[in-house]
Amino acid sequence: MSVHRSGLRWARKAAQLPFPFSAPTTPGGVEPLPPTKKLGADYDTDWARRFPARLARLALLEGVMRPTVAALGAPERDGIDRLTGLTDGPVIFAGNHHSHLDTPVVLTSIPEPWRHKVFVGAAADYFFRNRATSAASALVIGAIPIERSTVTRRSADQAATLIDRGWSMLIFPEGGRSPDGWGQPFRGGAAYLANRCGVPVVPLHIQGTDKILRKGKKLPHPANVRVTYGTPLRPEAGESTSRFAERIERAVAELADEATTDWWQARQRAAAGTTPSLSGPDAPAWRRAWALGDRSRKRRRQARPWPKL
Amino acid sequence: MKALVFSRKPAKFAAAMLAGRLSPGAGAKVGPLSLRDVDPPDLPGAGWVRVRPRLSGICGSDLATIDGTSSRWFEPIVSFPFTPGHEVVGELDDGRRVVVVPVLSCVPRGIDPVCDACADGRINHCQRIGFGQLEPGLQCGFCESTGGGWSTLMVAHESQLVPVPEAVTDEAAVLIEPLACAVHAASLVTEQRVAVIGAGTLGLLTIAALRSAHPDLDITATAKHPHQRTLAAELGADRVVGPGELERAVRTATGSMRYDNGQLGGGLPGVVDCVGSAESIAQALRIAAPGGTIHAVGMPGVTTVDLTPLWQREVALQGAYAYQRADFDTAVALVERLDVGRLVSATYPLRQYEEAVAHAAHAGARGAVKIAFDLRSEKERDSI
Amino acid sequence: MPRPGFVLEVDKSTPPILFHHGESFRLEKLPAGRSRVLYPGEPLEPLDDVDAAIRHALANPLGDSEPLHALLRPGMKLTIAFDDISLPLPPMRRPDVRQRVIEAVLDVAAAAGVDDVHIIAALALHRRMTEAELRHAVGDRVYDAFAPHGLLYNHDAEDLDNLEFLGTTRHGEEVEINKRAATSDLIVYVNINLVSMDGGWKSTATGLSSYRSLRHHHNVKTMQHSRSFMDRHKSELHSSNWRMGEVLKNAGVKVFQIETTLNNDTFGTSGPMTVLQKREWEWTAKDRATFIAMKAGLDRMPIKARRRIFNGWLAPYGVTSVQAGEVEAVHEVTTENVFKQQLVPIEGQTDILTMGLPYICPYNVNSVMNPILVMCLGLGYFFNMYRGQPLVREGGVVILSHPTPWEFNPVHHPSYIDFFEQCLADTTDPLELEARYEKQFAEDEWYRHLYRTSYAYHGVHPFYMWYWGTHGMQHVGKVIIVGGEPRSVRRLGFTPASTLQDALEMASDVVGRDATITHLHNPPLVMADVT
Repeated sequence: MSVHRSGLRWARKAAQLPFPFSAPTTPGGVEPLPPTKKLGADYDTDWARRFPARLARLALLEGVMRPTVAALGAPERDGIDRLTGLTDGPVIFAGNHHSHLDTPVVLTSIPEPWRHKVFVGAAADYFFRNRATSAASALVIGAIPIERSTVTRRSADQAATLIDRGWSMLIFPEGGRSPDGWGQPFRGGAAYLANRCGVPVVPLHIQGTDKILRKGKKLPHPANVRVTYGTPLRPEAGESTSRFAERIERAVAELADEATTDWWQARQRAAAGTTPSLSGPDAPAWRRAWALGDRSRKRRRQARPWPKL
Repeated sequence: MKALVFSRKPAKFAAAMLAGRLSPGAGAKVGPLSLRDVDPPDLPGAGWVRVRPRLSGICGSDLATIDGTSSRWFEPIVSFPFTPGHEVVGELDDGRRVVVVPVLSCVPRGIDPVCDACADGRINHCQRIGFGQLEPGLQCGFCESTGGGWSTLMVAHESQLVPVPEAVTDEAAVLIEPLACAVHAASLVTEQRVAVIGAGTLGLLTIAALRSAHPDLDITATAKHPHQRTLAAELGADRVVGPGELERAVRTATGSMRYDNGQLGGGLPGVVDCVGSAESIAQALRIAAPGGTIHAVGMPGVTTVDLTPLWQREVALQGAYAYQRADFDTAVALVERLDVGRLVSATYPLRQYEEAVAHAAHAGARGAVKIAFDLRSEKERDSI
Repeated sequence: MPRPGFVLEVDKSTPPILFHHGESFRLEKLPAGRSRVLYPGEPLEPLDDVDAAIRHALANPLGDSEPLHALLRPGMKLTIAFDDISLPLPPMRRPDVRQRVIEAVLDVAAAAGVDDVHIIAALALHRRMTEAELRHAVGDRVYDAFAPHGLLYNHDAEDLDNLEFLGTTRHGEEVEINKRAATSDLIVYVNINLVSMDGGWKSTATGLSSYRSLRHHHNVKTMQHSRSFMDRHKSELHSSNWRMGEVLKNAGVKVFQIETTLNNDTFGTSGPMTVLQKREWEWTAKDRATFIAMKAGLDRMPIKARRRIFNGWLAPYGVTSVQAGEVEAVHEVTTENVFKQQLVPIEGQTDILTMGLPYICPYNVNSVMNPILVMCLGLGYFFNMYRGQPLVREGGVVILSHPTPWEFNPVHHPSYIDFFEQCLADTTDPLELEARYEKQFAEDEWYRHLYRTSYAYHGVHPFYMWYWGTHGMQHVGKVIIVGGEPRSVRRLGFTPASTLQDALEMASDVVGRDATITHLHNPPLVMADVT
């Protein structure tokens, strides 16, 4: 996300320059013209879906994002095999959200054929607050603006159109980065879009990005990252959006359990209904931090090489 | 008379060493061995007779001498110029066919009283082989005074003569001397299971001698070439394997453990090395069981070998040189029983000695076993 | 709709036929007018939703068995056994069907509250699987959940403390299997039925057993009376295993068998290997170009690089069926499903049977196909790919195509080297080998050590390879290996030939000038239904 941060800083600096190097201020008592370029939820990202932008994004993804992610997190990918049953059509990836690094980590880890035809639902009030950040977000991560609080018709339409055109979506249903390492309740956006467009939701869990760059930190610190993909979910007949959203949240919680213990224990707890919730204990802050502990799982991944013959 | 003579010529000796390195047997072309007209050797004293060689074999030790690879140990116990040839079947003036026991011990040397070893019958242990009425020389074929088998006439002491039975062909008889070596080596083997390394003449004859001396002995033999394989099996080996397969064969036969680098945990109690190279001794050390014995039957010469296993596994390294008189009697009996004459693969006249030596040096690869000089048709043989 | 397999009568306009040849290929022109080629059917349509099919099979078992969830209860001992690295060939792409089945079984077990679960690779006397191979078979999730706690491991047929003797059959065959499995409340066996030989009682009675038990059916006599061992009802090998299954049942060992079948999509529908499962006259310009490039590249590569390429190939097999429940009922259905893909009817036997042997057989995954395995694949597996009567007439000639190098993997096949160097140098007669050497190899301490601690096949395994070929050796008059290294081919007791034409000439000494020829176009796997 460092690209993005420096972009913001540049934008701020540019704003401090004197007129005519910066935009003029509007005198009091004058009716300003309506804005010609729309920002926030109204920002139009169609250009980011065209060939030159896709090519640039591909270059940025492989040339900048991947090396950066590799240097910071060297992510491990689990559960890709669970996606084998899917056809090549669009899906919605829904995951937990700790850090600005989550988007690059997931974007670089999504398998073919979805990797290069995916867009990100990004907070309209954060990523699309001015033209520079909007353009950068749309270009680099292929973002479209989504309101955090309630899904408005405009952003939902934009997402649905893209999905219908065969684009997959990456969305963080928590609506923002975790403030303390524990999750926040999932909102209904992913469930709503899946229902509306009839596409499966792939739950995914990202672990370790909070150690690298959690909310409020400025400098990244390398740590181990693991992305776990879950079995694709489809809305069941007659299932409400909120029920489906709960199911997605539960699936991510089970993945979180799997990533911190192992699959068998996670399955046993899931069967017994004792999967630990994503949002942590309902307790004072210090106990929540305490319970967070060291949740990374150690494991030997190195395949034993054959003896040289 | 015609004789192949090996003289002391340092320059030629050096050339032979070099040529021998490049191609075994090539020392004959450039080295100090030459075909010459020489005076017949004088009879050194009473009890000596003239022997007209009929067939005379080319032995591994002869090849080592020709190629200049034999040890300096021999310097005081040979005398130049000498005529090689100690595997000899010849005839006496009265026409009797004999095989010569080539060892020049106290009795032929006219030493009286004889040394302790000779008194004991152990002529191969004689302590006086450089002294007495003859020039120094451990055997005929290395001694100036007696001449050697690679000529039309040599001399021998009565004590050295072993009569050849009528039924035994010259080809079989020429193998009596090497077979006596093998019989002697076999008499030193007390183990229940052995491996025989090498399937040249000596190796094959050793297999035969071992089988005859110890009917229950388990013999694993190595053979590089197909004809050697067949012969080794026929002469009594229980199993015949390629040289590179020996370690594995020994491991399977003994069911021993094996380390990752190929070293065995166990091995065979006895190994009979009929090659005598650094490689064969190293291989013997690898397959000998702790407390086992290696019998060095082939002449080793100067070799570099890691003796750590010898020390760590208390392996005994025992030489087996030549024979005693009785070994010849056993050998004659054995030759009558086994058809060993077939081991003589080719014979040459003296004038083709270069080819003969080259053939002998590459015997295995060329499908041969024993190469010998045939002196029966040399022109001036009967005129001396 | 995939086209079924068929028999091609070779005429003048038939293009040269593809022969697999170890890590390469040959194109051979077969004589017109007297040659036939047996082509496999095209890959059957795979199941759309494999996971759903698995769940359905677990909930709707065949034969006299309750659904899996009804067999599971808290506090019970559950053992899941699965087929080892020898299946399927080549290994399949991730996710392996074993992983899918095991995960589904564990899901049911978790829901039922089962805690005590062991997962065992049922490899009998095969080499142990490495971590990477286990991960490939059961998946990372299962591996990471069980292996670190010692709950996922290779069966050890030489661990005397962990074997359980369960009795003898009415024919006096001893039955001894893995103790954990024998003392479990339920064994769930997860199988891949690549060919009709696999599965049934052979899964448990062979896969989890020991030498003591195996020697009763892995021997010359049994194999001579298994005609073929691919046809369960005519296979003494299977009869023996079924009798052992009877003993298992009577001893109270409860087995829930899950069998899966694959289609024969070995080389895929994209990529350079595709051409290998197309019929020669349908090769497009692109196919021909890739084939030429592939062959030229391979022929110029050192053998190690070639092996690396082929060993890296993972087949895109599709799962065609999943059956679960009582062993025998399951196996009947499974075999039918295998036959649906592989069985091709053909009329009459032939004088000369030709086969191109590929780079892989069940015992050299990630390894070297040594001469003994060449024999086993040719005269063992391929020869026995028949139902009814052998494809080649008695006294006929079998022509194999394989480079047959004198080369062994010393880690995987240590006893093979000794078998080849020492035993085969002595005799190639299976009965004599069995009588003279089998016991010595089976009980050799070093082989035992390597089998248990390294990645070596058991000491006795090369003998089994040889026994696998006994029916074939007994049946045919002459075996010729085209392109084989003469030294090793002769050691096998066969005849080397440099070209197929030479081999056919040599064969004419045995079967005459106008002998009929049939080529088994395998792989992809095909089985002849000879009438």
